[in-house]
Amino acid sequence: MRDVKIAEIPDIEVDPVTLDIIESALKNYRYEMDAVLFRTAMSPVIREQHDEFPMICDPNGRMVVGQFGSYIREMMERFDQPLYPGDVILLNDPYLCGGAISHINDFLVLVPVFDGDELIGWTSMFGHQMDVGGPLPGSFPTNATSIFGEGLRIPPVKLFEKGELNQAVLDLILNNVRIPMMNRSDLMGIVAGCKTAEQRVRELCERFGRDIYLAACQALLDRTYRAVQTLIQRNIPTEPQSFEDYIDDDGLGNGPFKMKLTIWREDDKAIFDWTGTDPQAVGPINFYLNPGMFKMFIGVYLIMVYDPQILFNDGFYDLIDARMPDGSLLHPKFPAPLGCRTHALARLFDVMGGCLGQQSPELTTAAGYGTSPHLLYSGNDKDDNFFFIMEIGYGGIPGRPIGDGMDGHSWWPLFTNIPTEYLESYCPLRVDRYSSVIDSGGAGLHRGGNGIDKWYTFLEPGEIAIHDDRWLTPPWGILGGKPGMRSTKILVHTDGTRTVLPSKCDQIKVEPGDQLIFQTAGGGGWGDPLERDIEKVRVDVVRELVSVKKAASDYGVVCDSETSEVDEDATQALRQRMKESRGELQTFDFGPPLQELLARCKEETGLEPPTAPSLPPGWETNGVKKVAA
Amino acid sequence: MSFKLGVDVGGTFTDLILFDEENGRQIRAKTPSTPSDPSVGVLAGIEKICRSANISPGDIAQIMHGTTVATNAVLEGKGAKVGLITTQGFKQILHLARSWTPGPLAGWMIMEKPDPPAAIEYTREAIERIDTRGQVVTPLDEDALRTDLQDLGVQGIEALTISLINSYANQSHEKRVKEIAHEVLPNTPITASSEVLPEFREYERALTAVMNSYVRPKVAQYMRSFADQLTAHGLKAAVNILRSDAGLMTLRMAQERPVYAVMSGPAGGVAGALYIAKKAGFPHLLTLDMGGTSTDVALCQDGSQTISRETTLGYFPIKVPSVDVRSIGAGGGSIAHVPEITSALRVGPQSAGAAPGPASYGQGGTEPTVTDANVVLGHLPPNLLGGEMTLDTEAAHTAVERIGKNLGLDVYQTAQGILDIVNENMHGALRLVSVQRGYDPRNFALAAFGGAGPLHANAVAKLIGAFPVIVPPAPGILCAMGDVCCDYREEFSRTVFRTLDQITAPEVIEILEGLSAEATGWLEQEGISRQQQRIFYNADMRYFRQGYELPMTTTLHELQTNGTAALAEQFHALHEQLYRFRLDAECEIVNLRAVALGTGTTLHWPEGETDGPSAAHAQVDEHRIYFDGDFLTTPIYDRAKLKPGNRLPGPAIVTEMDSTTVVLPGFSGEIDTYGNILIQPTAQ
Repeated sequence: MRDVKIAEIPDIEVDPVTLDIIESALKNYRYEMDAVLFRTAMSPVIREQHDEFPMICDPNGRMVVGQFGSYIREMMERFDQPLYPGDVILLNDPYLCGGAISHINDFLVLVPVFDGDELIGWTSMFGHQMDVGGPLPGSFPTNATSIFGEGLRIPPVKLFEKGELNQAVLDLILNNVRIPMMNRSDLMGIVAGCKTAEQRVRELCERFGRDIYLAACQALLDRTYRAVQTLIQRNIPTEPQSFEDYIDDDGLGNGPFKMKLTIWREDDKAIFDWTGTDPQAVGPINFYLNPGMFKMFIGVYLIMVYDPQILFNDGFYDLIDARMPDGSLLHPKFPAPLGCRTHALARLFDVMGGCLGQQSPELTTAAGYGTSPHLLYSGNDKDDNFFFIMEIGYGGIPGRPIGDGMDGHSWWPLFTNIPTEYLESYCPLRVDRYSSVIDSGGAGLHRGGNGIDKWYTFLEPGEIAIHDDRWLTPPWGILGGKPGMRSTKILVHTDGTRTVLPSKCDQIKVEPGDQLIFQTAGGGGWGDPLERDIEKVRVDVVRELVSVKKAASDYGVVCDSETSEVDEDATQALRQRMKESRGELQTFDFGPPLQELLARCKEETGLEPPTAPSLPPGWETNGVKKVAA
Repeated sequence: MSFKLGVDVGGTFTDLILFDEENGRQIRAKTPSTPSDPSVGVLAGIEKICRSANISPGDIAQIMHGTTVATNAVLEGKGAKVGLITTQGFKQILHLARSWTPGPLAGWMIMEKPDPPAAIEYTREAIERIDTRGQVVTPLDEDALRTDLQDLGVQGIEALTISLINSYANQSHEKRVKEIAHEVLPNTPITASSEVLPEFREYERALTAVMNSYVRPKVAQYMRSFADQLTAHGLKAAVNILRSDAGLMTLRMAQERPVYAVMSGPAGGVAGALYIAKKAGFPHLLTLDMGGTSTDVALCQDGSQTISRETTLGYFPIKVPSVDVRSIGAGGGSIAHVPEITSALRVGPQSAGAAPGPASYGQGGTEPTVTDANVVLGHLPPNLLGGEMTLDTEAAHTAVERIGKNLGLDVYQTAQGILDIVNENMHGALRLVSVQRGYDPRNFALAAFGGAGPLHANAVAKLIGAFPVIVPPAPGILCAMGDVCCDYREEFSRTVFRTLDQITAPEVIEILEGLSAEATGWLEQEGISRQQQRIFYNADMRYFRQGYELPMTTTLHELQTNGTAALAEQFHALHEQLYRFRLDAECEIVNLRAVALGTGTTLHWPEGETDGPSAAHAQVDEHRIYFDGDFLTTPIYDRAKLKPGNRLPGPAIVTEMDSTTVVLPGFSGEIDTYGNILIQPTAQ
């Protein structure tokens, strides 16, 4: 960034009331950004499912309100161009923004906010584009071995300069994508959201004075700093704690990949160290994790677990030291493929929860469906028109301290499903079942949520692709809670034959009448299932969320298979027997050991077990023994 | 003699207003609400108001009624046991909902999801399927259906909803299921989703239809009890219920489609405010209805309310046409607090409610509320004129002072801070309905009502720049007043899903004419005379592949003359106004709609005699009041004594039976010919 005067943050006190007013105003603007985008976007991924993230930053690029943490500072250091009022910057290359966005599907837009000639802040938003070119619709092939095999990479460019659209850049982009109008509308919706917030920030400066506004941003960052400082002091022990979990495979038959995190505190500072995590994968499951973003995840996790009222922002970054080994799954080397990083992103939270949960498991949750299951379907219809749909599926929310995990809900904030009537009206398919998978939620005092059970019948010849995980290692339970059930994908052909599909696959041919049965993973249970209220178990049985069999085997509740009525005496006796015969409750229940899962993989899942990834040259495992398949 | 009566049943009070259509005379009354059977309170009110007016109840020709019976049933989770028939494979449609969990990341950890209004165990799957174009894929299995219905009968369901996939495209299966259900369960009220909401998105349609069933027995019981009581008291008046979109419906319709009335209460307030503001010459209006626990805001332009296609009741999105009211959890009873870890001053969303109430009410409340902050600053004088209560200033001080200590602020600064924050929250809500939709609030007046609206309106108007502030007479009972001035209203719509290159203007006209015929049939059936009938047309449009529609207003004449191009241009322009860009993309018509209106009779509104600018005759007291760091000696006026033309230079306080108005320093109030207080910035 050149020739830009960055506004100084004045060292003045802001009275607490003004501060609170500015805080709530900024929060409102952030939701206004969402609203503008939802109403204008065309791709169902953004407008129905809400895969987009807004934020508002201070002049130094630190996020004051938003969701995913700021990336602007690092990015701007590399952006060697002057900046003017009316500029709009666009990019999608994770390697050119330090992993601020983590696959090329996310179009990231940045709008500098000026007061006169001084930069007083930023508004920014990124959203998932349904297609950004490359060899396959969707632009994240599961078999890509480099980012060049995924789609169009856009470095930071000015989409608008001084308010003028850079038509050449837009033309270049739209010429490389499969449904140009959709990208155009979604991109303009993102720009409109950012411009709206830019206008609001300027109005706020007019109202309170620029100095007060800037000082208030600083004070809001400081407020979060102090709050997170307290949370770290209270909740992170000085003794290191480790936790590990797996991504099942990389789409090319390698796996499972271990993610290992160790946490400890040195005085005020918390160290989050990923040493022991496996090296980067050949396939596209690598997650180029921005350290700032990771700190944000930590902050938001601490806040949600321990004090949800705190506004979270970038204020506390200095309190956390994040370590990601070079060349690992979480810090891969260019040009490693990144398209399917969603599994690692979700697993990161499982691992973080498990790591922090050792200190106070009663405050944290079990593991959820642990990914973002996608279905992609494309082809040419009878009139030879290209069709393409991408749908994000959901699954079992884990058992939680406040209660059961929701069945078939989104782990991702504010996401929603695509209505069946929408899918059917825009795409040649029929949904024959949209339900939840009975018994898939892990048993617990608070039951894990069931996964989604969705049956798609395809009406035109075409190809489908699937992105999913947790087909091999189940989502774990906590405090005596049992693991959730694993995911499965089965293609039933018109002649009745069944093909088990891998969790990550592309270019699977489908014919009219073929039916895909897509079942996502359940969430792990929380707490001792033998302590669960009998009436709750009975209601779950009546609602066909839990079977009579599982009510007995996991909850010790004996129900009549016809009427679902509970036999109280038999239940008491069974629970007593089960309590006596089981060993001591473990904090975590991962299900069978990995060795066993791998050995029984083919028999249980119908799929070949993944092969242990080979170590790249010079890569030491830091004394962590790798699991052989 | 022709009298019209407006009735609004609120949580605490039942408000009534009686209009003598011959001479414009108005009589008001307020009685305590009777939640166990609200009709008891209403009838008590009717007796009271008839005594004051010196008429017999039989003289009342028409009753317009805003009711929260449906609203409360939903909010309190006390509706009927509802059975639901869905398409095979979709039994968990309400359970899975839209899979939404709140933000930010990990927001699901603290989500509390209420049970859906029809439980899975009372949901049955019909073996049938219709595709997106309305073709039957699987015919209805009637035998299996009968068995399921009999079973639901045994389970004791009190109402039944039918909601099948793609029924918006073909209603035949829902109709057939309904016929069979009538045979099997002859005494159970039945709602089919395609009757209530023939639009796509199955979850919202099913939920809306189930909500209709959920509130139906309760509403029907209330309506019956109300009708019986009216007859017993010698009333022969026609009764109309206010819908959420501020249209009136008959008692019969209200019993069939009570879900249309879930936002009846707020709609009445907006309608009343709009009626008065139009009279006073302000057709562009923002409304601010501040009560004890929440505040409702809305925008009206060119003398009409903004009608939204959807409203939200607690967790549930309900797709019924509603006056677009935004509700925030900020009211007079909202509690101010300072959380330990952030040391921030927060107001709400917890409320002291009616019990224990604000500290100053002396009913055991100790938490500082917005009302207490108003008491501390003197905006609410301790002896409310006409009020039956003396406020405990001491208790308010103690409560506010306590949290101020945690902030290092004195009691007055803290109280001012509480007001500033709550005003800012209302400002935020007003922005959502105005600025966010591309309207400049500076072109709007601000009508303030509800018990606490007039206390805060001047400060809120200052933030958002909407003047004048209009405080109508008796702002506490404006909802009842709004009920009286509404029109009959019903909508007839069809989902079409056609881009403009796939549908011709004659085809659009043909559909609209069909809808128009339905609309006319309804108006006739409701006994509305030809002169009072009006029909207008909407086309909900979007760019092809967008998910949300914008409603365009059109006429058959315009379509005949300019074809669908005019619709496209109107859409492009509105899209640009709202979102700052337009696209060179196909426009799509999603729904076509005919809205039938039966205009109500025009009310005579008396104009008062103009008096001089001096309001000295109305001053009853003075008080030292805190405004932005200073104590100013402030006159207190009795609203009843103010006359048109009187001026109230700020600072000033005006009190009346159920409300108090604050005029801030730098502003000035004036009484207009209709008795409204109009507050404007004082000319420099």
